[in-house]
Amino acid sequence: MSGLLAARSQMGTSLVFHIIFSVLGVGIPLLLCLAEGMALVRKDPVWMTLARRWAKAAVIIFAIGAVSGTIVEFELGLLWPTYIKFIGAVIGPLFAFEGFAFFLEAIFFGIYMFTWDILPPFWHWVTSFPIWIGGLASTWFIVTTNSWMNTPTGFVFKNGQLTGIDSLQAIANPSTPYETVHMALACYVACGFGVAAIYAIAMLRGKRDDYHRKGLMLALAMATIATPLQIVSGDFNARYLATAQPSKLAAMEGVFKTSSHVPLHIGGIPDEKTGTFILAIPIPDGLSLLATYSPDGVIRGLDSYPPQDRPDPVPVHLAFDGMVGSGFFTLFVALVFWFLYFKRKRIIPEHKLLLMGVALSGLLGFLAVELGWIVTEEGRQPWAIYGQLRTSEAVTTAPFLGASFLLFVLIYLILAITMTVLLLRQARTPLPEMTWEKVSSGTQPHNTAINQTMKVGS
Amino acid sequence: MSLAYVILSIIWFALIAYAAFGGADYGAGLWDLVAKGDTAKKQRELIDSALGPVWETNHVWLVFLVVGLFSAFPVPFSIICIVLFIPLVIALIGVVLRGSGFVFRTHGLRGRNALIWTQVFSASSVLTPFFLGLSAAAVASGRIRVNPGTPAQTDLGSIWLTPFTVMIGCMAVALCATLASVYLTVEASNSKDRDLAELYRRRSLITGAVTAVLGAIGLGISPIYAPLLWQGMLSRAIPLVIATMLIGLGTAATLYWRYYRIARLLIVGEVAFLLGSWGVSQIPYLIPPDITVDQGAGSPSTLFLLLIGVIIGMVIIIPSIYLLLYLVKLRSGMGFFQRGE
Ligand code: HDD
Ligand code: HEM
Ligand code: HEM
Repeated sequence: MSGLLAARSQMGTSLVFHIIFSVLGVGIPLLLCLAEGMALVRKDPVWMTLARRWAKAAVIIFAIGAVSGTIVEFELGLLWPTYIKFIGAVIGPLFAFEGFAFFLEAIFFGIYMFTWDILPPFWHWVTSFPIWIGGLASTWFIVTTNSWMNTPTGFVFKNGQLTGIDSLQAIANPSTPYETVHMALACYVACGFGVAAIYAIAMLRGKRDDYHRKGLMLALAMATIATPLQIVSGDFNARYLATAQPSKLAAMEGVFKTSSHVPLHIGGIPDEKTGTFILAIPIPDGLSLLATYSPDGVIRGLDSYPPQDRPDPVPVHLAFDGMVGSGFFTLFVALVFWFLYFKRKRIIPEHKLLLMGVALSGLLGFLAVELGWIVTEEGRQPWAIYGQLRTSEAVTTAPFLGASFLLFVLIYLILAITMTVLLLRQARTPLPEMTWEKVSSGTQPHNTAINQTMKVGS
Repeated sequence: MSLAYVILSIIWFALIAYAAFGGADYGAGLWDLVAKGDTAKKQRELIDSALGPVWETNHVWLVFLVVGLFSAFPVPFSIICIVLFIPLVIALIGVVLRGSGFVFRTHGLRGRNALIWTQVFSASSVLTPFFLGLSAAAVASGRIRVNPGTPAQTDLGSIWLTPFTVMIGCMAVALCATLASVYLTVEASNSKDRDLAELYRRRSLITGAVTAVLGAIGLGISPIYAPLLWQGMLSRAIPLVIATMLIGLGTAATLYWRYYRIARLLIVGEVAFLLGSWGVSQIPYLIPPDITVDQGAGSPSTLFLLLIGVIIGMVIIIPSIYLLLYLVKLRSGMGFFQRGE
């Protein structure tokens, strides 16, 4: 394995692992805040129990999120020293601001988790706000740095020298609004369907009580609000790529030749040798219409780039269609669910097939996030910083990169397995007796039992 | 003072915070390793309850440290990443295993698996500060040479594996152990566990003495292995070094007479002065002898943005950290001037 390939594999694996926890780290805090808020408004111990349960799972998830994020942060320097020299000089402060967002999230999560028995209920609920605000802010900061990698601005790079650095202009790079909005929504889509899927599976196994219904409903409500917005925002992203990163759009849609009347290919494998698709469903003029609103619209193809500057269309196209497909499938499931819910006068539908659909959506939401990132990252190749720094120039000269890749894969496997075992075990522990005194936060003695199971208090 | 030095001072503040808070978390892992006998279970519970609420916050200081360095000093950072690739990767693995080992063993694992993760947690708690200390010493020793013509090369040990770096690595471990045992003394005496408080008081005194001896040896061999650091210390940092020694004695005295809360404050001061004297000794170099702080700094526009952001961030973060510490640690327990039993 060459050093470059090993470094790319290690970076990709690390990010694919980390993003799962990022999404949960943004989505779960909002669910916590909503559930605890409902509990306080309705004085409903079931909502409170949901918040408690989610918080307990979040301890493990956040910890793995923190360690996996730390790996990524170090890898930016250890694997890509030339890249970090470049990005650090121009837009580095954003990473530091992201650090503050993590601080906010970690501090208030510590307070939230360990003061159930100290703070009165209202104030305990208040401490959940900085957690999700911190998570959302960190998403904005980190995705802005990624946007800058896609459309770098705010510097002049000549003869290997960086001059005229203007960090504010770099932050205001044109991709930022598109990518940050799309990613923030993705967190709520994926986390919403993911949590809903857990309750759908439990209901399929016969646990159809109030607790599982409420859990399913809240998570699905969050996902349902976010998904249509997500699809609209994705459409903006794709159209924007036609001007900002035409090579990425060409790879996404397998456009080999620059021309007008470009069809949209759904599925299939773009074949670079013949310049055609294997097994795709073509929609005549589709891409020209989508990107320019006119069948005569010209789309720039891969042939307008020298061969060494072209991304590989196969993974990018497949990932893109997978993301879009997942988006529409999950939207369909959510719409059927709420249609039946309101038709049956606010009773949660419990069709087996529908619940299975929700369970599948849980998987597809996360898959869409992974595939979306493959579109962004593979579609940018061969550049690490688009048009400025090639991935092959960014990589370190350090030895043993293959061994390091294998070692980290091993670590991720062990972490993933242990964490799954722990979360499953948590899910199987019996629910506490759900009365308000016993589960609500506050200093009353009745809730010591549940506080102890959460390792709260001394 | 130039902007670069202002930013470097902030980074140094983060380093001190990470050492004083995160360092204690590593030290607690070491004490977990040696917890044996009939109090072993009680010791582990004390460690769990002490670390649980704060370790993740403490860990963010490390993240902040790394990003602060690469945004303010991008070129030196990338050189260090290449040259010290091996010790830094080992430290990174230690960081990862420490954090995950801790949550795994405190949140639900039982039996043999819990034991394995406990051992992983403890072993990585020793490994990580050792390699972080060693890497810092490798930079300070002045053996990383930077020539504009030749690109940096990963070092296989001639730079980062010397008696000096090993000594500083050991000293980092001992310092973490001292910090942890002082904090645990306070925690134990807060929860009215006299036996444990005595145990950790004794351990604080011993590991404190070990740290002092290792530090003295490190200082003693620095004229050979880190000459620039030694000269810098002689010419600028002598008052700080003396203050460090006095605070160390003060910590020992307050521990001896059982003023635990004062001792906890003093040991934090000890860390601050220790790292402060290293920083002042190394001025004006970032990577001695070839890169100075001003040469290594990024562009003024980036540094200025960083400064503004850090000020805003600190205004939000510092009170929040205080709130966390107040709610979970300071609120209950003994008064500042109160003596332990
Ligand atoms: C729940 C997840 C999810 C769903 C349902 C969708 N996306 Fe997406 N998409 C992401 C999650 C995502 C992502 C993982 O969050 C990405 C990666 C980078 C980014 O900013 O968002 C992304 C990137 C991304 C990009 C690349 C942006 C760039 O590189 O600059 C495009 C063009 C789209 N998306 C378009 C769409 C369209 C047309 C969708 C219609 C259904 C869609 N996405 C649904
Ligand atoms: C779009 C991509 C990303 C998003 C949305 C994201 C978001 C998050 C969130 C919400 C957390 C908190 C996780 C938790 O507490 O469970 C987190 C942790 C972390 N992330 Fe990411 N992240 C992304 C990519 C990255 C990248 C590329 C890096 C490296 C530069 C990174 C570095 C970190 C670090 C260091 C942490 C740990 C912080 C701590 O100690 O609590 N993340 N990320
Ligand atoms: C968290 C979601 C992300 C995922 C799943 C992801 C995925 C990937 C993958 C698969 C690669 C390897 C690409 C290749 O070399 O073929 C890669 C490379 C890389 N990514 Fe990302 N990425 C994510 C977010 C980010 C963010 C937010 C940043 C920037 C801060 C970033 C920085 C990098 C860098 C520097 C490389 C190496 C250079 C390159 O290959 O272009 N990634 N990522």
